[in-house]
Parts: sequence; C-alpha cells; structure tokens
Amino acid sequence: MIFKNVCVLAGVVWTLFAINNAAAQVPTTGPLPAIANAPGAAAAATEAKTLNDWLMRMHEASKKRAYVGTYMVSSGGSMSSAKIWHVCEGNQQIERVDTLTGAPRSVYRHNDRVVTFMPDHKVVRSERREALTAFPDLLQSADNRIAEFYRVKPEGVDRVAGVEADVVMLVPKDAMRFGYRVWTEQKKGLVVKLQTLDTDGRVLEQAAFSELQLDAPVKMDKLLQMMTKVDGYRVEQPVLIKTTAGAEGWFMKTPVAGFKPVNCFKRPASSVTAGAGNTESLQWIFSDGLASVSLFAEPFDRQRHDGGASMSMGATQTLTRPMGAYWVTVMGEVPMTTLKLFANGLEHKK
Amino acid sequence: MKPLLTSSSGNPDPELLSALADGELGRTELGAALQAGGQDSATLARWNAYHLIGHGLRAPSSPVYSADATFLTGLRQVLAHEPPFISEQPHLAVIQAAKGEASNDASFRWKLVAGFASVAAVCAIGWNAVATLPYAAKPQLAQASPPAPASQQLVVASPQGPMVRDARIEELMAAHRQFSGASALQVPSGFLQNATLETPRSPAR
Repeated sequence: MIFKNVCVLAGVVWTLFAINNAAAQVPTTGPLPAIANAPGAAAAATEAKTLNDWLMRMHEASKKRAYVGTYMVSSGGSMSSAKIWHVCEGNQQIERVDTLTGAPRSVYRHNDRVVTFMPDHKVVRSERREALTAFPDLLQSADNRIAEFYRVKPEGVDRVAGVEADVVMLVPKDAMRFGYRVWTEQKKGLVVKLQTLDTDGRVLEQAAFSELQLDAPVKMDKLLQMMTKVDGYRVEQPVLIKTTAGAEGWFMKTPVAGFKPVNCFKRPASSVTAGAGNTESLQWIFSDGLASVSLFAEPFDRQRHDGGASMSMGATQTLTRPMGAYWVTVMGEVPMTTLKLFANGLEHKK
Repeated sequence: MKPLLTSSSGNPDPELLSALADGELGRTELGAALQAGGQDSATLARWNAYHLIGHGLRAPSSPVYSADATFLTGLRQVLAHEPPFISEQPHLAVIQAAKGEASNDASFRWKLVAGFASVAAVCAIGWNAVATLPYAAKPQLAQASPPAPASQQLVVASPQGPMVRDARIEELMAAHRQFSGASALQVPSGFLQNATLETPRSPAR
C-alpha cells in the first residue's frame, strides 16, 4: 500500500515536472497554451480541449499558408520526394504535387477534387474525396473522441527546412494504435514534419519538407488552369458506389475500441481501379480520428487466394484471410494485433 | 412300408437316408435310420448333404451351407500358424537408417563442395532480393499504377525483412490511402504524403 502511494506520488511529481518543462519550452504563442498554463490536476481535464485545439490550429494552418517546397517521405525502406505548390484564397485551397521519384505524376487537389496526371500513360484520373473536407467539422462534432485514445506531449522545439518548429508527440493511450510525432512551424502551425511510431517508439514512417518557402507567390488561377488542361489525355473517373456494410451483409460483432465506421464503398468489377483482381469489392473504413483501417471483402478465388498472410509496409500493416465465400483484407496504420481484432470481429450474415 | 436296407459295410443304405430326408420312412425304419446316423459320422455327413441338396433345389438363389466343423477347425489351425501381418514401417526405418550416412560422408572434400554450393545459393537469392528491393519496396499510389497481372508479386521491405506482396495488395493499399482520409492528419499532411509516395515506373516504358 505504501509502495503504491509512493508510486502515485512519484507519478504526480513527474507529471508536474514534465508540464513545467513543457511550459518552459513552448512559447506562449505556441501550439499548447492550455497544457502550458494549466495546473497538474486540471491538465487531464483540459487535455481533450488542448488536443483538439492543437489539431484545429494545425488544420487551419494549411488554409492560411501559401508555400512552395520539396517534400520527402521515407516509408518501408524507400525514399520518395515531390515538389509541392500550395495556395489558399478564402475557403478555396489548391495544391499541386509533382513527384520527383518513380513514375512522373502530377496530382492536383482543389478542395475535395483530386486530379492525377499520368503522362507516361497519357491518362488523367479525376475523383472526389469527401474525406478531405470532413475536417474541421469532425473535430468539432460529438463524434470526436481522439482525446480518449491519444494524449499530447510537448517535446520541445526543432528546426525543419529552415523554419523553427514546435515538436509535439501524440501518444496512444493503449497498444492498439501507433503514435505520431508532429513538427509544426511556430507562427501558424503548418505541419513541416511527421513521424509515425510503433508501440515501442520506433519510427515506421516519416515525411518532412526538405526545403520550404512560406508565403510564396503562387497563383491559384494558374494552378486551376493547369488542373483542367487535359488535352491529349484519357480521363478516367473511378466508379464508386456508396453503400453501408449492413446492406452488404457485413457486421462487426465485436467493435474495436475507439474505431468507428466512417465510410463504405463498393467497387464494381468493371471499375477502372480494379486491375489485378477484377472483381467487385467492398471497402469498409474505420477511424479513431488519427488512424484508419480499411476492411476489403471480395469473392474468394482459389487461383488467386491462399491461406492468408500478414505483411508490413512502413506504417501500413496488412492482414489477409479467407472468410467463407469471401477473401478479406484488413489494412491500416495500426499494430497487427489491432488488425487481428478487426478480422476476428468481422462477420457476414447475408 | 419299405424294408430297412443296410449296405455291406453295415452303414444305412443311402436310399434309406434319402427316404428319411423325404419323410417317407415308417416308424420302424425311422428308428433304425436315426440309430445308424447316431453311430456313424459318415451317415450324418450324408444326411447333411441331402438336406443341403434339398434346400438348394427349393431356393437356388440363396443356398445355405451347413457349417463344416472340420473345415472350420482346420481353418482356425491354419490361421493360428500364419505369420503376423508385417507393416511397411520397418522397411522405411531401414531406408532411413541407410540415409543416415552418405557414401561420400567420409570425404571432407565433398562437404567443402556442398558448403560452397549452399553459400552460392544464398548469395544468388540475396543478390536477387537486393536487386529487386529498390524497385519493389517503393509504395505505390494506386491511382497512378496501371493494372497489373494477378500473378505479379513484389518484394517489399519491412521491419521483419523483405516480404513478397502482390499487385492486388498494392491496389487495395492505394484505395485505403485514398479513402481513409477521416484522419485529422490527412488534410495537412496525409494527402501530401500519399501523393508524394512514388509509383514504380511502368515496366512497359
């Protein structure tokens, strides 16, 4: 009993020390004023607000900054890079991403409309991604339970691509999700570096600007003009049918803690996105606010499918297994044990 | 009434037995026949044979054979002296035992050659994996990747070492990245990250 009390006391002292330390490191204009100013006991109570405010600031920053930069992504043992142009006017956002490695691609995003130019195939893919405009509404809604599963932990300041940045760790509260270390530039909160860490704190994937020119003179109308210039290209629009898992006979008999279903799509067999496995497939998407998991179900094909496997690619884990007449693929930026919970909890009743 | 007939050997005449089987004997003859049958095994065997013949004539499709005690006793004796069933296992064991030591086991040079061959095989596989890795390890953006044949497999890097992944997984991964955007990190960073992740150059080009 005495030992337990000592442990609790030590924990409180350590928390106070950590918060004081954070307060010393984070400037008053920084990303975590609530934590920096709150007393120890109140810190937990305001944690949710702090986390949401911080996420909101980070999100809003992308609406306020115009910039040009070079972005690097390291994942699964390989390095990719791209040149990026980003501009905002009112509620309008547009950005262009030109890959510098691998196959040449130009990806334009105008709010939730994404257009991808593939010059090597003379193909343009045009699609709408609702999820890109889901925020900040989701952050402000009652469904936002991010703070129940993650806590913020300031980790001082750093310098990335020539700009001063605050470093914040999003620490998962259980072993069912990965952690994130986020660098945001100090003035407005633009994300300049992001790491995904496994449950042991090892970096699985990271992305960062290697050079960044803030407030660059990028013209929105010029980017919009380039985005719509599809002469000489074949335009493809992936066919996606919005549905519900229940309507397709799929259920989660055991929900996975923190993960809520957010979307469900059906891809017809004739869809241009169906290549190797040209069969109808279902994608059921779950999210805990930061991490997401996709459940794919397609008809079992003895020639293509075997007994199931699990694989890892950077932060993305994948699990496949047969389930009755279906072949199920569970994929997400979560530990493999979490994917297994999804696979075990899935049921088909149709 | 038929007279009781006996053969020269003293045994009942076969005709008497036949008449007995047919139910044609009178009381006196019946007593004599039964007495003869009780004393002579040959007469009993003949009696059984007559019954069998009669049964066969009445029901030719399903004759009933009387149990021959002598035959059964003989069969049991023969079976008792048969050697027990020998399974194949002892033969396998012998073969395995023979494999235990190769004919060239005593020659150290053979072991050396085998060792070099193993190292060469590992090197060849390793070189192949290393040569494939830079291409295959690159994550793909689905929208950018052309449809690949179902059998196409890629070697990818992972914390557990190189792993094989097929083109279908690449497509699903791209779909996951495109529509898993309900993450708070998606808009400021996730989109850029996914768009930046390179696509392997098409082999056709």
